[in-house]
Amino acid sequence: MIEALFNQPNYVATKKMMDATALRHEAIASNIANVETPNYRRIDVPTTFADELKSAIATQDVQKISSLTPFITEDSSAIAATRDGNTVQLETELMNLNQNTIAHTLETELASGTLMRLRMAITGRTS
Amino acid sequence: MDPISGLRLANIIPNGLQPLDVQAPKPGSIPTQELSNLASVKTPETQNVGRSFSDFFTEMTQEVNAKQSAASDAVQGVLSGQNVPLHRAMLAVEEASVSFQLMVEVRNKLLESYQELMRMQI
Amino acid sequence: MIQTLTGIDSTASALAAERIRMDVISQNIANANLTHGIDGKPYQRQQVIFEKVLQQAQGLDGGAAAQQVQVARIEQDHRPARLIYNPGHPDADADGMVAVPNINIHEEMADLIVASRAYEANLAVVKNARTMALQTLSIGKR
Repeated sequence: MIEALFNQPNYVATKKMMDATALRHEAIASNIANVETPNYRRIDVPTTFADELKSAIATQDVQKISSLTPFITEDSSAIAATRDGNTVQLETELMNLNQNTIAHTLETELASGTLMRLRMAITGRTS
Repeated sequence: MDPISGLRLANIIPNGLQPLDVQAPKPGSIPTQELSNLASVKTPETQNVGRSFSDFFTEMTQEVNAKQSAASDAVQGVLSGQNVPLHRAMLAVEEASVSFQLMVEVRNKLLESYQELMRMQI
Repeated sequence: MIQTLTGIDSTASALAAERIRMDVISQNIANANLTHGIDGKPYQRQQVIFEKVLQQAQGLDGGAAAQQVQVARIEQDHRPARLIYNPGHPDADADGMVAVPNINIHEEMADLIVASRAYEANLAVVKNARTMALQTLSIGKR
């Protein structure tokens, strides 16, 4: 009965996305840290994961959503910009960093809002 | 009565909250049969048919306990430096807190309804 | 220790490595005119080589892992010294030529700008990590 409270598709999806966002931040941090390292290839959460998550959310199936796990891989489509084989573009990484942080803010707001609405429903008080 | 013993209401309230037997006066215009039918309206979830309220409350307590221990594990994971992401610990703690609040409110309502029942003039 | 900021290991290592790089570049600039060092020879330009830190642990849930960076070594550049005709200089040899360090100020300044841009980018990463952590801590509270 308690689990049913928290097994709403949107809330479970938000939690999954928070996992992915935290993981992506690690990948971006690693990329920016290694912008000058020779032969470093950039890593990221693959876009296939984002697509899978999108289709799972569309089905509104909680089991399907919670079975996905985000992961980091090497970005095979990145091209080396310099002679030393480093595939990191600093501007792209900084842009991804900002987008990721805003996404995290959104996800925190959504999760927070869900929990506060639950409390409101339970106690009948708005705070 | 103190709140702790209030949790043992299930022993005092008859199972399924069925109407008290023949002593209650019935309004003259409504036949007895209809009154009994009114009282036996079941809860919407058919799997609760036949379950006593004490079972329901025990199950809820166990679930809340599971949530609390999951939250405690997550927090321990963060504090001990294992790679538990901070947001997982925070969400686990918040969910445990909401579950606990639900249980407390259910208990409050149970107490209220019990007290109101006891106040009823027979 | 409690890991509250994600990816802090990579960023911290990069900040340290870029700081070392900036120190080496400033040293090059400061010694650009040193014709007679401790060993009697003109100052030899130095440069840092970065490398990935070998991680024992596999990445989370398989796949690649975040990499830290470190300075592999600070090596001396092997370019020969420039010879300038200056017979009045105390270090001039028999032909009146002085061996001066082969340091190009413009090259050093360009390197310094790249290094400090990388340093600032890593500072931005830390700032974002901190913002994210503070937001996480305020889940459920208003």
